[in-house]
Amino acid sequence: MAYLEVRGVAKSFGKKKLLDGLSLEVEQGECVVVFGPSGCGKTVLLRIIAGVLEPDRGEVWIGGKSVMNVGPEARGVAMAFQNFALYPHMDAFENIASPLRARSRPEEEIKQRVHEIAGLLRIDHVLDHLPKQLSNGQKQRTSLARSLVHGPSVLMLDDPLRNVDAKIRYEMRLELPRVFRKFHSTVLYVTQDYKEALALGDRIGVLMDGHFEQVDTPAAIYGSPRNRRVASLFGDPPINLFPIRPERGGDGAVHAQIGGQRVALGPRAAELAGRDCVLGVRPEDVAFGFDQAEGGIPVELAAVTPFNVRTVTLLKAPDATEILASRPEDNSLAAARGHRKGWARIDLDRALFFDAASGARL
Amino acid sequence: MASLTLDHVTKIFDQKGRPPTLAVKDFSIRVEDGEIIGLVGSSGCGKTSTLRMIAGFESITEGTIRIGERTINKLKASERNVAMAFEGYALYPPLRVSDNIAFSLLRNKVPKARADAKVKMVAELLEITDLLGLYPPTLSGGQQQRVSLARALIRSADVFLLDEPMSQLEPHLRAKLRARIKDYLIQNKMTSVFVTHDQTEAMALADRIAVMDEGVLQQFGSPVDLKERPSNLFVAGFIGEPPMNLLKAQVTAEGRARRLVVQNEQGSQAFSFGVPDRAEAAPLKSGRRLYVGIRPHKIVVAPSGNGAVERVTGTVVSSQWLGDQSYLGVEIGDAFLILVADRSIRAAHDSQITLGLPYGALHFFDSDSGEAVLHGSDLLGA
Amino acid sequence: MSKGLLRRVIRGGLLLVVVLFFLFPMFWVLLMSFQTNQDILRTPPSLTFTPTISNYVALISGEIQTSVGTLPVYYMKNLWNSAFLSACAVAMSLVLGVPAAYAFARFKFRLGEDIAFTLLSFRFAPPILVLLPLQLYFQDIGLYDTYLGLVWVYQLITLPLILWIVRGYFEDISPDIEHAYRLDGHSWFRSMWKIAIPLARPGIAAAGLLAFIFAWNSFIFALVLGSSDVQPVTVGSLAFMTASGIQYGTIAASLVLSVIPTLVLALYTQRYLVEGLSLGAVKG
Repeated sequence: MAYLEVRGVAKSFGKKKLLDGLSLEVEQGECVVVFGPSGCGKTVLLRIIAGVLEPDRGEVWIGGKSVMNVGPEARGVAMAFQNFALYPHMDAFENIASPLRARSRPEEEIKQRVHEIAGLLRIDHVLDHLPKQLSNGQKQRTSLARSLVHGPSVLMLDDPLRNVDAKIRYEMRLELPRVFRKFHSTVLYVTQDYKEALALGDRIGVLMDGHFEQVDTPAAIYGSPRNRRVASLFGDPPINLFPIRPERGGDGAVHAQIGGQRVALGPRAAELAGRDCVLGVRPEDVAFGFDQAEGGIPVELAAVTPFNVRTVTLLKAPDATEILASRPEDNSLAAARGHRKGWARIDLDRALFFDAASGARL
Repeated sequence: MASLTLDHVTKIFDQKGRPPTLAVKDFSIRVEDGEIIGLVGSSGCGKTSTLRMIAGFESITEGTIRIGERTINKLKASERNVAMAFEGYALYPPLRVSDNIAFSLLRNKVPKARADAKVKMVAELLEITDLLGLYPPTLSGGQQQRVSLARALIRSADVFLLDEPMSQLEPHLRAKLRARIKDYLIQNKMTSVFVTHDQTEAMALADRIAVMDEGVLQQFGSPVDLKERPSNLFVAGFIGEPPMNLLKAQVTAEGRARRLVVQNEQGSQAFSFGVPDRAEAAPLKSGRRLYVGIRPHKIVVAPSGNGAVERVTGTVVSSQWLGDQSYLGVEIGDAFLILVADRSIRAAHDSQITLGLPYGALHFFDSDSGEAVLHGSDLLGA
Repeated sequence: MSKGLLRRVIRGGLLLVVVLFFLFPMFWVLLMSFQTNQDILRTPPSLTFTPTISNYVALISGEIQTSVGTLPVYYMKNLWNSAFLSACAVAMSLVLGVPAAYAFARFKFRLGEDIAFTLLSFRFAPPILVLLPLQLYFQDIGLYDTYLGLVWVYQLITLPLILWIVRGYFEDISPDIEHAYRLDGHSWFRSMWKIAIPLARPGIAAAGLLAFIFAWNSFIFALVLGSSDVQPVTVGSLAFMTASGIQYGTIAASLVLSVIPTLVLALYTQRYLVEGLSLGAVKG
């Protein structure tokens, strides 16, 4: 029996059906990421689980019991909001102490626990500040401290890193798992950033059109996405998608036209002859070089854009197909400007094939 | 298509009831014909004020701005022959998207057929072809931003100014449009200056970048220069994502040899290594307080036996796989290092790991002034 | 003279004219309160006169000297009545209205908007509409000429005001702050008491002040439903239209005195009115 269960939850706003029969199971101590583009209903789902919003249909079960008739104050869930939701008229200490006060804990215990969690999240030096005196990063940590201080059984985080500086985001993304482990929390983490999803989730639930398109481990989502929409959401630059019609050649091998060049698709495409497909190749699986490579596609290097620790190249095939390739940081490539001719080779072992009509992975 | 020169440009804002604000101080750069320049810095650093002065929407308190040989700072915005894409898009609501884009062309009496062809070309570039018949208020923020860009890029002007040109862009389009826009600007030899708070964007697009902080130019160089040879602590910390690891350190003497003692946040020793006894290492004087920096992707995991690499051992605190790269957080004596590695590296929590810090990847900054004292590439005589 | 300076002078001049236009009646009343009836009625009106405090003395002591002799005047009692009635009415409206405003703001229930609008509509209707039947009922129940009766009827004036203004302020508070408080483990009542009301304090103060002013100024309710016992200053000023003529000086003095309580209240609540909402605890 999973610790947190969402069973067939549906919610509409006016005519707009936001969540359509959603189900999810979260094991105790697991961190499940709910990932999806903005407006897909992730925050609404969290609010329904928290009990501050009522679903049209469906139930939420926590610890083996239905909580549909239990108010938010008694469900044993804690939530860190995207916009922090700190109490403006109380200082950071009182904000963090609030859940302990609700449980009428003795003053000594409150002091000790607030200082402990503030120290762990490195905000113990600003406990006497009012929210308006805190930086965004500190507000976010205060909000997190408040949700952790009483050791909740279920912890929900609503895109907590969204409103935090890019620099601090990297630090916090690396710190959060340590905090979760320390408290053995069952965590539901909502985000639009695929990197956070891959980094933090034991499993990821991809929420689209009101239901979970795929719920799987990060490796499975990235390497075996259920359809092209899921594949496109993970990865920056996004996966290259080429419409192809594989054909069996005289030698029995299957080929397709990619970028105007006839490319052998390898044994994995054996079943696909004659079918309209879409070939998905991630930029890191496209190798570009100036020397001719076997099985490569002749391309023109149109632009080189350094991208953090990698270098992204825009390649144009003779039939105007655009291919994005990425490689670890390459300063020499970035230095020269202007178009140059070269060759692009696709790693077909790692390529993904999707059905052209439905988008499902083949 | 011309060069752009800013000479000792200063801007002071005089607001009633408040002390005058020095927005831009003694700013001088020269942009070559056809170059793409990025102005970056955190908010309030003066980058937008500088752009607006080039455009003519702000007056200059001191200094001159020249396009080619023409001094333009006294001219009205409309007389300067600059094209601008605004942060707030500033589209004309009663005109269709296609008319918005073609506006300046039609005003200059370009024949309709040619104008239409150009509009189509730019629309394809920015993927707004199916929006051409719509009106601005019905578009999303990202779509409006692309229309605003199209309107600026279609013009022929001496200089193109772009104010946060891609901030609202849909994430799945960003990588491709960045590359396409860069290609377009280079192919058409368009001298461009763009302002952005996102240093990733600047590093991707620009030939050279001007980093500003509180109105003062910190460094003006190519992306590689800024990455490999940041001139001070601010540039080192601002450029690059994930940010450069910066640790406090002090040089101590052990007889004739010197050691660099790297400290954790509390100030005690985290780890140390010997300073090479070479002439280039002279700036690392005994007793000097420094910041040592190394970029996350330069740290090597399980280094092999040779080369100018300092080895340290620490505990893995976090390990995250992000598809095409992996992040590791490693604690060495209470100092925290972030490193980015190849996609296939995973390490278990609390396991021990040996890391290599190549000398060539180290940067040293003075503790007090923040100025760069030595770059690792100098140490190797590279 | 530079263009900017000329513009500023003209703008200042126009503002001065507007200010004078609005303040002039009050200034004139203030002057009148220090004049005797003869000075006031003199034609042409003149700005110079010998000031006298006889009007104020008359009000405070309770006797007016007229040409026909002394008349008793119950101004101080009326002033007390006004203060008492307005304060009680506002207090009752706050106790009833603030939780109601919270309910309307936070709980979406069927017919919620309709009920709220009905309550507001009481302000649209002219009081005359209900006064005649009300007087008969009040006489029957024994509420005629009582404080309780008037305070109750004053709710028609004060309650909708408080309800609508305070509801707006509650709606402005990000619901997430209260959700967070509930998730911490507090009940909805504690959330209203400890979070919503403190954060809406500027709005509650503003609404309370406005309600006090409207209650203070009300005339027709007290006129019809009350008599000498509970008369507020608005009705009480009718007494200055005596058989021997209208005592303008005394009326002016009574006006000046009657403004003072509301003025003091406004100054006191001012510091609550300028408090900012949200205080940066919610992003944006």
